[in-house]
Amino acid sequence: MSGYNSDGFMDEDYDDDAFEYSEEEEEFGHNAIIGNSAGASQLNNESQTETQPGVSADGPFYENDLLDDTGDFEPVLGSIKKKKAWEVDYMIYDPEELRAKQVNIAARMEPLLGISKEATRLLLRHYFWKEENLIEDYLSDSERTLAKAGLTAYPPPPELKSGDENFSCAICYTDGADESYLALTCGHRFCSDCYRTYVTGKVLEGDSWRIHCPAPKCKVLLGITASRLLLAQDNTVMERYEENLTRSFVNDLDTFAWCPAPNCEYAIECHVPRTAWATTIPVVECKCGNSFCFGCKFDNHLPAPCYMVSRWLQKCKDDSETSNWIKVNTKECVKCKSTIEKNGGCNHMTCRDCHYEFCWICMGPWSEHGQQFYNCNRFNEDSSKEARESISKTRQSLERYIHYFTRYNNHEQSAKLARKLLATTEKNMEQMQRELALSWIEVQFLRDAVDVLSVCRSTLKWTYVLAYYMVADNQKIIFEDNQSDLEMATEQLNGLVEDPIGQDTVDDIKRKIMDKSTYVKTRWETLLRDITTGLQENRWQFETL
Amino acid sequence: MALKRINKELKDLSQDPPTTCSAGPIGEDLFHWQATIMGPKDSPYNGGVFFLSIHFPTDYPFKPPKITFTTKIYHPNINSNGSICLDILKDQWSPALTISKVLLSICSLLTDPNPDDPLVPEIAHIYKTDRHRYESIAKEWTQKYACK
Repeated sequence: MSGYNSDGFMDEDYDDDAFEYSEEEEEFGHNAIIGNSAGASQLNNESQTETQPGVSADGPFYENDLLDDTGDFEPVLGSIKKKKAWEVDYMIYDPEELRAKQVNIAARMEPLLGISKEATRLLLRHYFWKEENLIEDYLSDSERTLAKAGLTAYPPPPELKSGDENFSCAICYTDGADESYLALTCGHRFCSDCYRTYVTGKVLEGDSWRIHCPAPKCKVLLGITASRLLLAQDNTVMERYEENLTRSFVNDLDTFAWCPAPNCEYAIECHVPRTAWATTIPVVECKCGNSFCFGCKFDNHLPAPCYMVSRWLQKCKDDSETSNWIKVNTKECVKCKSTIEKNGGCNHMTCRDCHYEFCWICMGPWSEHGQQFYNCNRFNEDSSKEARESISKTRQSLERYIHYFTRYNNHEQSAKLARKLLATTEKNMEQMQRELALSWIEVQFLRDAVDVLSVCRSTLKWTYVLAYYMVADNQKIIFEDNQSDLEMATEQLNGLVEDPIGQDTVDDIKRKIMDKSTYVKTRWETLLRDITTGLQENRWQFETL
Repeated sequence: MALKRINKELKDLSQDPPTTCSAGPIGEDLFHWQATIMGPKDSPYNGGVFFLSIHFPTDYPFKPPKITFTTKIYHPNINSNGSICLDILKDQWSPALTISKVLLSICSLLTDPNPDDPLVPEIAHIYKTDRHRYESIAKEWTQKYACK
């Protein structure tokens, strides 16, 4: 099991305050978590304990992982990387570790409840793994707690019986002493073939521990042991059953989520509570390389909070802005209702469709304007004034939206181009190695620069969403200054990376790119740190969403 | 499996027919039945005879049969297509249930509608707020569509 940091830059890193190289970069394994929390408490002591009650330096979810290599490690605080202000603690589990986690929790609960292993496992699942609720209910009324879940404290081990002449299966109606059958504590008996078909059907529908006795309205749970007994002959269904068990474990817990990348089988545990998502963006990076938001499962959207992102995406998706544009820029012909955009010229309009002549200002027939030429005297009437004002208001809000959207979109497109750039960069790097006689390690700077570029593009993209909803005040001006600093530096770096490199310029350009990359990275960190603390201090006001 | 079980149910129905309903295959196809339900005495459907169509899935009885009314009926849990909102026909289905038991459940649904989980919200609203009006419309529909 390993602990990871959400870190934009994987290859090299500067210490938060002192810009020292931290060399213990690659393998922190399990223990990075402990280190992170320690670093975090130095950096941001108060908000950390407030927003993440489940995670502290001696957090309860680490001490309980009895699994693997925890014993032989001595953390050396001095060498541990500090957590950045915007990073959150999380753990990554593979399916095997998830299974072990479930077994561990059940093993811990079993002596506390004093009931069978089977009943403990099922009761925990029934309570969505909320151990405190379970213990509380169980201690106040154990009988009722068990009955509500469809359980008994010590169910007899399930076994297939036969030899009863009076047996008749209520599903297939076969009867006789030869038939093997299964009965749970409720006493409803069904033949093993029917039971098997029933359970297989349920498992293929995604069910696992919730499968109950097939009798109408009977809520007695079949149980994991009995299910395994019935499915023992069919490996595919059996595997699917185990998969469903794990799936339901991750789905039932708020602190667990699957990595949304296609075909990725890892799950993430993160204890940033839902209530903190407005100020903390729980971005995590899976072992598969996918970086995503634990809160909304969308791509990494640092530094904009989830609620803003979903609003923004909805807004971009809606055609409402299109209709807004139509409202601002067009009018309908009074006679034939054709939509007309006035893209120049005077107020004397002639509809192309019906040839009706009218005034663009008052929409009245042009004939009434007589000899006043191109000057509508109704322009100053109160009603026209109001109409004009309402139009300019809509126009303003539209222009504002378009301002932010253009920049947002620009960075999104550039980020896509950056991915292409990465491909060409790799070619360039090979070429440089051949033509300029440079070693592999000497050309890595180009790749690092492109990595920095794409991370900054993503961040910049979402800062425009933040800015769109931000109410204009002095704090916003400071925010925008930081934003524009990073943006300018990013564009310059982009320019440098795309410059052709020749024999005589290589040293110069390499130095420039490396300097600029470092600068951009520092700006990026400053911006993110500033936004993170700003959000937690409620420094900015946002349009009420 | 499905066919064996359907045949058995058919045999049971003919040997021991329920008093208020009947069911049987329409033609050669044993997977497609027609059923009738007599409107229960203590309900506004009294006097009507309601026809239903039953389709058995190939994996019957592990999947529920598809049952719809073919006679128009005014009821909060039955819509204009004849679809029935009944838990045992959906997620509460049990392979140990039979057509005869399901038809009896539908009979009791006619006597006691479930307005809190309606398929037709308008009818449920009338049922809850103006029981007399609901009963008179249900009677009227029964007269019009279910009495020949």
